[in-house]
Amino acid sequence: MPRLSLMKLTSRERVARCLARRPHDRVPLFDSYWMETESAFVAGIGDERLGCGIESFPKEPRPDRLTLWEYFDFDLMHVGWPDQRLRLVEPTVLEETDEWVLRRDGNEAVLRWWKHKMGTPEHVAFGIDTPEKWARAKPLLTASRNRVRWHEFWPRYRRAKDARRFICFAGVEVIESVKDTLGHEMMCRALIKQPEWLHDVFETYCQFEIDMFRLCEAEGWECDGAFIYGDIAYKNGPFMSPQHYREFVYPCHKRLFDEFHRRGMPVIVHSDGDIRKLIPHFIDAGVDMIQPLEARANMDVRELAPQFGDQLGFCGNIDVTVLTTNDRERIAAELHSKMAAAMPYRGYIYHSDHSIPPGVTLETYRWLLDEVRRFGTYR
Amino acid sequence: MLERIAEAVIGGDEVAAPTLVTQALATELPARDVLYEGLLKGMTEVGRRFRDGEYFIPEVLVAAEAMKAGMAVLKPYLARAGVKPEHTAVIGTVRGDLHDIGKNLVATMLEGAGFEVIDLGVDVSPEKLIAACRDRKADVVGLSALLTTTMPMMEVAIRQMEAELSPRPAVIIGGAPITQEYADKIGADGYGPDAATGAELAKRLCRKR
Repeated sequence: MPRLSLMKLTSRERVARCLARRPHDRVPLFDSYWMETESAFVAGIGDERLGCGIESFPKEPRPDRLTLWEYFDFDLMHVGWPDQRLRLVEPTVLEETDEWVLRRDGNEAVLRWWKHKMGTPEHVAFGIDTPEKWARAKPLLTASRNRVRWHEFWPRYRRAKDARRFICFAGVEVIESVKDTLGHEMMCRALIKQPEWLHDVFETYCQFEIDMFRLCEAEGWECDGAFIYGDIAYKNGPFMSPQHYREFVYPCHKRLFDEFHRRGMPVIVHSDGDIRKLIPHFIDAGVDMIQPLEARANMDVRELAPQFGDQLGFCGNIDVTVLTTNDRERIAAELHSKMAAAMPYRGYIYHSDHSIPPGVTLETYRWLLDEVRRFGTYR
Repeated sequence: MLERIAEAVIGGDEVAAPTLVTQALATELPARDVLYEGLLKGMTEVGRRFRDGEYFIPEVLVAAEAMKAGMAVLKPYLARAGVKPEHTAVIGTVRGDLHDIGKNLVATMLEGAGFEVIDLGVDVSPEKLIAACRDRKADVVGLSALLTTTMPMMEVAIRQMEAELSPRPAVIIGGAPITQEYADKIGADGYGPDAATGAELAKRLCRKR
């Protein structure tokens, strides 16, 4: 029997073992990019098989072309991202300049977006601001086929299957969904002032996410894991107290994650910000791995792995502010210290601590990925 | 009575706060005391709890609502008594950045610390900032940025204020990518790691001037 480190695992096997904190050959790779970085990398690589479009907004996706994930041979990819808007109205452009566009979306939320760069939009107004309006809108939130961009995801799904990558069903957790509908401020106020209403909103979105996952499964997707997106914290901590999390959100998370676990699918949860106070609750709810561990929000895998590494995996934490220096000595120190701390627990996937910013050169980035593969090989 | 007003703010009770303010004024308590020893004292405690991790955003938002409800009752009495905010703060998210949640929290905390707050919103150009500082005779400017790509605009704004405003108002900065080191580097007068600390810092800087 050859040593595992000498065996060549498929990406699917590698990530599955990593998520189960079982021995594997090397640290799996996965990453995200700011739109400007993605465009610059695609232009710099100059390979016509590549198309911009890991994220389709605002450009049209080119599912026939390779993503950077495939080009860099990452181990994990995701499909899904059901449209979770209420579809109260047709999305409309209300105002537009060369720089930004003011849109009313299907939730009747008015948001200002940059046209040529990514980022959180300005929250101008939200249409659902009373329990009565919610009660009228709620029946519209039903699972349906036309909520998934099949034309975009089927080709990627098939290529990922052929390449034996680890495929995640990608969805959105309830805080993110409710924030998109009510806005942060209304959601936070309702936690205290209108708890019954908020319970109903959270429960409705939770059931919708489960129904959409079942629909995708019925369409033929056989996913290996789940990638659940939701920014539930900011630099200084969670948006809500652990008590509020436990009362309102935990039951929804547990129900959603149980749905995946029943099929043997481990769960990766994405949240920016400082989520340390929620980690014990996440573990109870069945989270298998957290991502991306934002360094500037005091998330540090060197502290977290010794504390939680036996119960939880980690994906990310490589500080983008260090990467933008393009200083290989500094980057190596960042990379090595964090990987060395996390690797003994066997549950670590490389990712930056957010998204690769435009200041990171392609040359640095190629070197970084080589270094992850070299240093991240278990011996 | 003043203690009960403060408690109503701390507990986020937007019904009790204006009721108690009305009762306090009816007993001829000075409007200034109702403001400083009641509403603002309550909000100061909310800021402390937020800074120390005992309160989270929801608790701060409902406390601010209670304070504002009390303030609506109190405002005409303050005007009659000639009580004005001691300091003026101009606040905004820098050019190129549309994030407003953190900036809104800081505005709330500044109001709770007794400032008149001129909130310029998001994507604020240095020119707009300077015009507001001139018009409103700002004592302090609060700049927010969430992105590493927009934080350099803070330095641009400070340099432009230095060139065009004499004396330049004190500048405090904050936001996800901001650090004390960065504040020192670009010549800001201070860095607020959170909204409550930012408001305390603004007060300290105004007292020094």
